[in-house]
Amino acid sequence: MKFSFIAPVAVMLLIAASSARADGFATCDSGPKDKWQAQEKLSASLKEKGWQVRRIKEDGGCYEVYALDEKGKRVEVYFHPVTLAPVPKGAKNFRG
Amino acid sequence: MKVWDALVRVAHWTLAACVIGAWFTRDDIHEWLGYATLGVVALRVVWGFAGPRYARFAQFVRPLADTLAYARAAMAGRGARYLGHNPLGGWMIVSLLAMVALTAGSGWLSVSERYWGVAWLQEGHALLADALGALVLLHLAGVVHASVRHRENLAAAMITGAKTAPRPGDVWE
Repeated sequence: MKFSFIAPVAVMLLIAASSARADGFATCDSGPKDKWQAQEKLSASLKEKGWQVRRIKEDGGCYEVYALDEKGKRVEVYFHPVTLAPVPKGAKNFRG
Repeated sequence: MKVWDALVRVAHWTLAACVIGAWFTRDDIHEWLGYATLGVVALRVVWGFAGPRYARFAQFVRPLADTLAYARAAMAGRGARYLGHNPLGGWMIVSLLAMVALTAGSGWLSVSERYWGVAWLQEGHALLADALGALVLLHLAGVVHASVRHRENLAAAMITGAKTAPRPGDVWE
């Protein structure tokens, strides 16, 4: 039966497509990772500003930070991994 | 004859639109679609106990043994026609409602102050959404299969609410 074959294939395609997707809020032109600064350094500088850093992950070649800012507000901010400069949301291939 | 009442139909298409919309958005719209989704699920669950006959869980959620027997018959191409949901369709509805609630609920938690930026919740939300996507594909496959088998456009029935009156051999209770 044809659809018994289509369903699992479609499911696999879906899973493959979704695991590769980025949030897409910004992308950074950040080059090879050996030039990147450590996440710990970004985290330390944000803590110094009074932020409570919850999570840092890579997204679109940027560091994506989930934190509570100095006012306790939930923020999701992108930073360039080489310069650690904030990246405006919507920026494509941000150079820092 | 009329089988699907107005609330069932509107809830179905609203839920479909919200889930598809949320699949393709990542911003505030995504968040609001998630809240709308939870509202629709809550309404549909209440309706599953208080609604008319074919909207009720008690009408279409069948015992496991009956469901397996139906699955075997359907695979062999001789599944009976059900006026309401067939046994696999009934369990699909329960699964979809549960998966939508879990996905939207985990998304809601992950934007709360307490769970903001919590990795396992964010990854869990994404995995639940993927599982929901897989269920939706199975749901569509089931609808196409039953529509072809019984020569009745079930997607159209979910728009008009009307299905062909039961013929001998059909299951209508």
